[in-house]
Amino acid sequence: MDETRATNRGFGRVLVVIYALFAIAATARSVVQLSTKFSEAPVAYLLSALAATIYIVATVALARGDRSSRRVALAAISIELAGVLIVGTLSLAFPTNFPHASVWSSFGSGYGYIPLVLPAVGLWWLQRTWPQSTPE
Amino acid sequence: MTGAFADLLITAGVLVGLWSLVQLVVNRPLGRALRLGVWCLEALIAVFLIGGIVQIMTTDHDFAKLEFVGYLLGMLAIPLAALWWTRTDATRAGTAIIMVIGLVTSILVLRVQHVWAGPHG
Repeated sequence: MDETRATNRGFGRVLVVIYALFAIAATARSVVQLSTKFSEAPVAYLLSALAATIYIVATVALARGDRSSRRVALAAISIELAGVLIVGTLSLAFPTNFPHASVWSSFGSGYGYIPLVLPAVGLWWLQRTWPQSTPE
Repeated sequence: MTGAFADLLITAGVLVGLWSLVQLVVNRPLGRALRLGVWCLEALIAVFLIGGIVQIMTTDHDFAKLEFVGYLLGMLAIPLAALWWTRTDATRAGTAIIMVIGLVTSILVLRVQHVWAGPHG
């Protein structure tokens, strides 16, 4: 593997740490929510669990950084971006349908909007480190 | 959990973050002194964890105890994981990671205090 284009080198190492922190935070939050008050807001808490899963997958894929992991990271981060945009928009447009916050509610305002910025940075980093095809 | 030791830990986290930021600006990779700073932060967190567990056992205060212990254990694990992740890093990325960890530690202390305050705090 070309070390200079690895997703887990340089800034990529910082990105992996930030994703790992969000994976821990979202997983812990969803475990508590699902185990203690799932019936109160099943949709919001399942969304939290989905967010946690996506953060875990993105963390591992970015940390591995091989060819197949890049594709997995691209898929996970794209779903993450779609999720935060869709859930963020719906939670602001229909607040009564989202009485309990998830990581992605209000575009991640509960986490300083980092959930909104993180996938954009992740996609930028993947694009920047994506291996170039060598001309014959 | 809301006393002087929590304030000390918040300050220590911010100081590690600021120190890392300065190192980052002057283009320094993660050095031995900054690693030592993280170990000092880790020692303070360990004392905070022990103090938190003692307070759980000696209080009848109503709060989310499982969440509280989870935060304390997470606080203890995160700097160790960061030190492991940066163990072979000879670039500024290691310094940036420690900056993030310092600031996250301070935020987690605030979160622990929020959990300690309980639903009616």
